[in-house]
Amino acid sequence: MTTTLDKPSKPTAKAPRTAAHRTARRKALLHWIAVHSLGVAAALFFVLPFVFIFLTSLMGGQQTLTRDLIPTTWEWGNYAKVFDTPGFLTWWKNTLLYAGLGTVLTVVSSIPVAYALAKFRFRGQRLAMMLVISMMMLPPQVIIIPMYLFWAKELDLAGSLWPLIIPMAFGDAFAIFLLRQFLLTIPGEYLDSARVDGCGELRILLRVVLPMAKPGIAAVALFQFFFAWNDYFGPQIYASENPAAWTLSYGLESFKGAHHTDWNLTMAATILVMAPVILVFFFAQKAFVEGVTLTGVKG
Amino acid sequence: MSTRTRKAAATLAATAAIALLATACTGSAENEAEDDPKANTTLTFWHGWSAPSEVKAIQENVKRFEAAHKNIKVKIVGNMTDDKINQALRAGGSSAPDVVSSFSTTTVGQFCSSGAFVDLNSYLKKSKIDPTKVFHKPLLDYTQFDGNQCTLPLLSDAYGLYYNKDAFKAAGITEPPKTWSELTEIAQKLTKPKGAGFEQLGFMPNYHGYETSTSHYLSQWSPTYFDAAGKSNIAKDPAFARMMTYQKGLVDKLGGYAKLEKYRNTFGDEWGAKHPFHTGQVAMQLDGEWRLGMAKDAGVKFEIGTAPLPVADDQIADYGKGYLAGTIVGIASTSKKKNAAWELVKYMTTDTAAVVAFSNGIRNVPSTIEALKSPDLKIDPAFKTFVDIAQHPKSNTSPANIDGGSYHTTLSDLAYQYEAGRVKDLQAGLEKAAKQIDTDIAKLK
Amino acid sequence: MTTYTLRSKRRRAALRTAAFLSPWLIGFSVFFAYPLISTVYFSFMKYDGIRPPVFDGLDNWTYVFNDYPMFWPAVRNTLWLVLVMVTCRVAFGLGVGLLITKIKTGAGVFRTLFYLPYLAPPVAATLAFVFLLNPGTGPVNSILESVGISAPGWFTDPTWSKPALTALAVWGVGDLMVIFMAALLDVPKEQYEASKLDGASSWQQFRFITLPNISPIVLFAVVTGVIQAMQYYTQPLVAGKVASGVIGGSGQQFEPGYPEKSTLTLPQIIYNAGFQRFDYGAAAVIAVVLFALSMVFTAFLMRSRGGLIRVGD
Repeated sequence: MTTTLDKPSKPTAKAPRTAAHRTARRKALLHWIAVHSLGVAAALFFVLPFVFIFLTSLMGGQQTLTRDLIPTTWEWGNYAKVFDTPGFLTWWKNTLLYAGLGTVLTVVSSIPVAYALAKFRFRGQRLAMMLVISMMMLPPQVIIIPMYLFWAKELDLAGSLWPLIIPMAFGDAFAIFLLRQFLLTIPGEYLDSARVDGCGELRILLRVVLPMAKPGIAAVALFQFFFAWNDYFGPQIYASENPAAWTLSYGLESFKGAHHTDWNLTMAATILVMAPVILVFFFAQKAFVEGVTLTGVKG
Repeated sequence: MSTRTRKAAATLAATAAIALLATACTGSAENEAEDDPKANTTLTFWHGWSAPSEVKAIQENVKRFEAAHKNIKVKIVGNMTDDKINQALRAGGSSAPDVVSSFSTTTVGQFCSSGAFVDLNSYLKKSKIDPTKVFHKPLLDYTQFDGNQCTLPLLSDAYGLYYNKDAFKAAGITEPPKTWSELTEIAQKLTKPKGAGFEQLGFMPNYHGYETSTSHYLSQWSPTYFDAAGKSNIAKDPAFARMMTYQKGLVDKLGGYAKLEKYRNTFGDEWGAKHPFHTGQVAMQLDGEWRLGMAKDAGVKFEIGTAPLPVADDQIADYGKGYLAGTIVGIASTSKKKNAAWELVKYMTTDTAAVVAFSNGIRNVPSTIEALKSPDLKIDPAFKTFVDIAQHPKSNTSPANIDGGSYHTTLSDLAYQYEAGRVKDLQAGLEKAAKQIDTDIAKLK
Repeated sequence: MTTYTLRSKRRRAALRTAAFLSPWLIGFSVFFAYPLISTVYFSFMKYDGIRPPVFDGLDNWTYVFNDYPMFWPAVRNTLWLVLVMVTCRVAFGLGVGLLITKIKTGAGVFRTLFYLPYLAPPVAATLAFVFLLNPGTGPVNSILESVGISAPGWFTDPTWSKPALTALAVWGVGDLMVIFMAALLDVPKEQYEASKLDGASSWQQFRFITLPNISPIVLFAVVTGVIQAMQYYTQPLVAGKVASGVIGGSGQQFEPGYPEKSTLTLPQIIYNAGFQRFDYGAAAVIAVVLFALSMVFTAFLMRSRGGLIRVGD
């Protein structure tokens, strides 16, 4: 019954031509049309910005100063020009280092913590969980003054990305939270039976829990990778004084001003910064959406 | 880089212990310089230039220095803003600069009073240089604060009026404007509206129209920013209200704020080839002497005229004056190579041949008395306008203050609101801004 | 079992727990507790990063609340964002979530398209919107004006800069859409079917079945939205910088909150006070205020009974 309501069924000769049936079918068709036109309208809203920036990225320099929407000449060379601007490849390298190494460190350091929070019983567990959530909700700007003084003055690491990467070796609150939510869904019986077999907790974590937690770990890794890829504030504070340490997000912002380019090249650079994230998403769509859902689910 | 990686790895292990013990609040300026300027060393030099021709000119300048000082290598980092400079001067450390140049003369007060830059007086004495014999007085004024000569001028900038001679001819105008009323008249004649915008705009008066900022306008009314007691004078000196009233009137006569803002958003980058003056979108432009070289590099088709900026109608006797500023250069107090750094600063700021060659390369006004007289200086008539403005006795600049130019931000904030018509009572606005400036400065003392 | 072995067993368990938690224990001390205490300390000191810090009493506090020209504009902007941006995002997220559960043809394609903008890196997305909404050459105003609508100045006009940021935030509503979608699919089907037999209209179904079922998720979205609004940093900062035309070209300092402080938020003024004015004391005061506000809403999220994130088991 639901199918006939939701899908417009083509009228067939066999169908009884009662008036009630016809109105029901017409109503269903109208409903289908209404829903899908709304869907198309929403899709336009979401997609058109990409289309416009893509078109602009292919315009000639003079044309970007006009109100034209469609390029008169298709300058595919704009993308090559972006790669040729000084620094662009360095930004890529730095971003990959920050996002790659940072993700590995986060995952490795957060898993045992999340496991303990999800599966152990200990005094102060509730408090620890509350502190993890507080850390998760803490804006990075709140602690930036002492942190900056610490990294720059005590450790002489200003002008590099290390002040952003090193902390990830000490667990990331969001990763811990997300992994804990995921580990809670693993039934305790699996762990108990392993314990009966005489496994230590570390072995249980490595042999039993990790294989079952792969989707959760994948989601955490993705989130962390995207976080580092998108991070603007961190590089702005720690890397800004050394162009050799800039990341894509930070470099992109000053791209237009620093290279005196027009919107066409700026938009080409914008697309080149968006593209990897979107590509990664297509390969890992399922893990990602699961992760987003997990953040909103009660633990 | 590899030492840094090692260091980071070591840090990783030790982070926890150190952090718990560290009291992250030490940091006193050291002024003793103990390094040997004859030893082999590498200096880090920061500058703010970013236009390709300018970057090339400063690189060549540094190359000449390296050729004359075989033991010193210089690592150049460009496109640095004052935020980043200030930040690095506080952090010190391996990636921090030894020698720093900045365009903001208003920041000098902050640089000197905080001790971020070392006082160069003792270095000048050691090298037996009398700065008053090398530099004109206004330049010495904007590079020091309360007797602390923490920076020296590295070429100077003078602001004037550029005009499109072809557009003038087409509109039947023969002379550039000498007073602001004349400028209004000429700008209106040159303005050709088209649809919701313009085919050609006579002059872009909005404060965000690149160099048409409050301070650059203000010099033509010879303002006094602070009274003898160091209090903000902007509500008492009528120059401020007059300038802002004039600018607002010009905005209204040329089509109104909204229309002009919209037009402004069609402009190419200020430092790129498609600057609105180059493209003919505006026929007159308030700008510094560097525009000449940039316009030529961009292959501008029309003939460019230069003139001093107009003056207030009742100050016609002062015609020829303009806003002065310049690049300043100093030595970071965190530098461990101050003597070598001084060699670079001394060379770039006081060596006549170096100043002349750099001036010819970057098309800025030379900053030493000797260099201004040098026969090697390439001066064409259009450029001479700016050399004359630089030497005009009534030319002026915005004073240094310990707030590092925050007083300027406060004034500009009011100006933005006034030009947009969101503040109606100008005098009340000026009084409020003056109070804000005084509070901000008191907070820092 | 003797008490001795029991105690040693307990001690071993405690040690094991500590070992598992150790990365986080260090991270918590070094990157949370220590800097927080230090920030509170700096809020009472006069410190510019060069001269040694000096005790300054409540000076920083009175300055920030009474005289710092950016504090109240930032607070007002944040309130605006909480009221308008969060509402728009939740309403739109819910709407799109509902829509996607109703779409039967090509649902997967629609879902991906709706979700994509959320993935766009904030700096890139903001740059794109500043271009799209550029009053001079941007396509949005070109289209609006070609149909005779006089278009605003968006990021260059203080009354329109926050609506422009809202448009950007609504564009990236994919995260909420997914959360709402999951919640909507969890609503028991029987309830709808039963109500249909009773002749309920679709509005009545939404009002009396859907909403009550998903209300915890709506509340979750609102509260996290409020926290995000208070921490809003990259988008307004980049939008202001790029729209003002001053973006690191030739040494110019950017103008915080362009146009006319209309895009300032609390994290931005921590940057302004700390890293543009180098008044670490004032920056620390704002940081303490922002911390307190964030924690109030976080506590709301965690209230164990009826709370949205359960911290216990």
